[in-house]
Amino acid sequence: MSRISLKIVGASGQGLNSIGEMVARGLKRSGYCVFGYREYPSLIKGGHASYQLDIDSEQIRSTEVHVDILIALNHHGLEKNVIDMKKGGIILHQTPTWNFSEENQKVIEDRKVTVAYLSIEEILGRLKAKPILSNVILTSCVWSLLKQDMEALKKLVTEEFGHKKDLLALNMQCIGEGAALAKEMNDTRTLPKPKKEWKDQLLITGSEAMGLGTIHAGVRLYAGYPMTPSSPLLSFIADMQNDTGMVIKQAEDEITAAQMVSGAMHMGTRALTATSGGGFDLMSETVSLNGIIENPTVFVLAQRPGPATGLPTWTAQADLLMAVDTAHGEFTRCVLSVSDSQDAFDLMPIAFNLAEKYQISVIVLTDKQISEALYTQKPYEMKNATLDRGKLITDTKKLKTLKATDRYDPKAENGISLRWLPGSDAATYCAQGDEHSSDGTVDESARNALEQIEKRMKKMDALKKELPEPELFGAKDPELLVVGWGSTKGAVLDALKSEDLSEKKIGYLHYTYLWPLKTSLFDQLQRSAKRVILIEGNYQGQLGLLLQQLCRASFHDKILKYDGRPFFYDEVVSSLLTQSKSL
Amino acid sequence: MNQIPLDSGAPTMKSYHSEVPCTWCDGCGDYGIWTALKRALVELKIAPHETLLCYDVGCHGNMSDKLLGYRFHGLHGRVIPFAAGAKLANPKLPVLAFGGDGASFSEGIGHLVHGIRSNYPIVFVLHNNGNYGLTTGQASSLTAQGVPMNTAPNGIPEHTLNSMDFVFSLEPTFVARGFSGDIKQMTMILKKAIEHHGFAFVDILQSCPTYNHFATHDYLLEHCYHVEDEGHDPTDLKKARQIAVDTSKRISTGILYKIEDIPSFYERLVPRQGKKTTPVEEVEIVDVSGYLKRFV
Repeated sequence: MSRISLKIVGASGQGLNSIGEMVARGLKRSGYCVFGYREYPSLIKGGHASYQLDIDSEQIRSTEVHVDILIALNHHGLEKNVIDMKKGGIILHQTPTWNFSEENQKVIEDRKVTVAYLSIEEILGRLKAKPILSNVILTSCVWSLLKQDMEALKKLVTEEFGHKKDLLALNMQCIGEGAALAKEMNDTRTLPKPKKEWKDQLLITGSEAMGLGTIHAGVRLYAGYPMTPSSPLLSFIADMQNDTGMVIKQAEDEITAAQMVSGAMHMGTRALTATSGGGFDLMSETVSLNGIIENPTVFVLAQRPGPATGLPTWTAQADLLMAVDTAHGEFTRCVLSVSDSQDAFDLMPIAFNLAEKYQISVIVLTDKQISEALYTQKPYEMKNATLDRGKLITDTKKLKTLKATDRYDPKAENGISLRWLPGSDAATYCAQGDEHSSDGTVDESARNALEQIEKRMKKMDALKKELPEPELFGAKDPELLVVGWGSTKGAVLDALKSEDLSEKKIGYLHYTYLWPLKTSLFDQLQRSAKRVILIEGNYQGQLGLLLQQLCRASFHDKILKYDGRPFFYDEVVSSLLTQSKSL
Repeated sequence: MNQIPLDSGAPTMKSYHSEVPCTWCDGCGDYGIWTALKRALVELKIAPHETLLCYDVGCHGNMSDKLLGYRFHGLHGRVIPFAAGAKLANPKLPVLAFGGDGASFSEGIGHLVHGIRSNYPIVFVLHNNGNYGLTTGQASSLTAQGVPMNTAPNGIPEHTLNSMDFVFSLEPTFVARGFSGDIKQMTMILKKAIEHHGFAFVDILQSCPTYNHFATHDYLLEHCYHVEDEGHDPTDLKKARQIAVDTSKRISTGILYKIEDIPSFYERLVPRQGKKTTPVEEVEIVDVSGYLKRFV
């Protein structure tokens, strides 16, 4: 592994995202795989935020705890982030007089960290440039430190700021100044040899990927209420509305958003809403309603740590059990989880197909890590997705043959009855929230209740049969079996490729389809593995609890994280190394 | 002059007939609203399959299987956003939402506010009987203060919400009031409401013989008058608000306020301008490769 990591720290609003994004784009175009990760507090200005880029010529999809290069936009970084430095790392900062704490001074000496003061303020004064241009000087300095082609950077800056012609010359001067600063450092670190394959790939966040997947799936109405980390999806889809022609509604609350998409799906379009835990609590009654009226719906649940407001801008995988047990009453629902920018795109058409085929709610889990991480992503294939609307009848002749009692016919195969849309020239029915007979007439008889509950629950058996088993990565006959889901995948897959672990027989079993839960592959692997480990971003080991319940899973150990941070590459490597020593 | 078309091709009252017997109390105002609704749909030549009728939870919601048409019976207080979402998905279909004063002025009041503010192109019929009937006669926020009700033997301490003043404060585009004992006028009101292209707020004062002993059928019969008989100009906002709010001596019924030149929510959506298809008709796998360039 030749990965390099670079972390920009400063106050929110200081422009660290723009430096991060520019360097990321430049490096990707030069032939590197880049993974971007943001940490920030829940406020608009101030606080301590970071934007980290992990860079390699091989595929990379995780963040390291320790970094090679730290760029501190203010003095807070010199207090808080020295501890993040790798051996031989370099700190670039612009705080003229600074005395490191004793503890930090020791880290700097022990780890042979170089500290370089950049006289940016002086340069800006000399160029008579506004403070915002310090970002260009810093970007250029980092660019030059990584020995990248300066012409490529100039092209990028022209693309970004070229519309302000009067400023372009000043930008170019700043690039020159930044490069000169780097030259003085005589730093010898270099990036691995670039690879062509990355150049034309996309640089995309998980939210953007999911947004594109949503558009791809044929969604024509989106209603949402802002809540991190689901808001970037709302923003992206709303920003795209003039291209897509989609109906967008920023609703007055999450209940409204859930009801609006339910109404829209009932009418027959495809509609989506997304929220985080607190908003999903409010939506849950609507999920229950969709259960009894058998209305296909898709809800995105973007997780962050709770309870209550919790850690609004941090990540978690702690809402799996909530999703699985959403709302009152017993009914079939499906829970799946994205893990990166590939399946954030791929799973959206699948989620809608499952929803329509089984006439159920599908809950798609994501988390803050996926939502806001920046991925280097292969352009999406347009031919994989299909449109499956299940037993939806639209043919005029067939519509004429329908009886109202076909809608909720308890005798329908696998409990999946015919569905037709309001406005169709056919027998009319009631989508009835009370327990009802086959045409939606209220029916409180014991016999009818049994029939209808069994009809709705039968769908789960058929759904479970159709859902794929979890995917096994790494060793095909693992001695150490690691089980996880969601954004954990990126860090684990990167860790499996590390030199320390690549020789070990480690298999990572990744669950995408979490409810109804398939257990046969897991069961088979747990019998042959010497050691079975659970890795999850929650306190209880929630997937583990489901596996224990369904197939008596037993775990030798659990790697659980619930501090709001994602799994980091180096910490997963060391955890798995410890685990593999116990084989 | 019979307005109900009797020729076989057009919908008739029979087209909406459901075999399910009504379960409302004797003298319940829901019978009148139920009849006026069917008449309005029939007179507008809307067949049962050409509309979506959305019911909230309450006595009125028990109408959901007492007539035909595409119907939906949802959660307490939430009918407006469901109906709005349905309508935005298929703006060609008339969508009517029905809710009681309990749901609409307590749990669902936010939806009513934003429904009016958004000017969704739907009809909202308020079954206003001044109490929570189905849960056996608790006070709603429209129950007169001081009247003993179930769970409030001394009357409610809260003051009564002035629903019409509240609705007018939201700058509605259509406000009408009817009386459940006056089927003919309700039919006229509902027809105009369905034809309105924004959010039509229709308040029906409804007798509840079991629990409402302060605004009875007889009381309403005595106090209601038709504004159309007195030459009321429904574009006169100031007058409309005044006669809507002041019910101390007599109660105005009819089309109180109507303004047609305000675009509906759907008409205001820039991405939908000039689109001939509805979102329901547009569902397909969309090639997004053209959007990928911005990420390279």
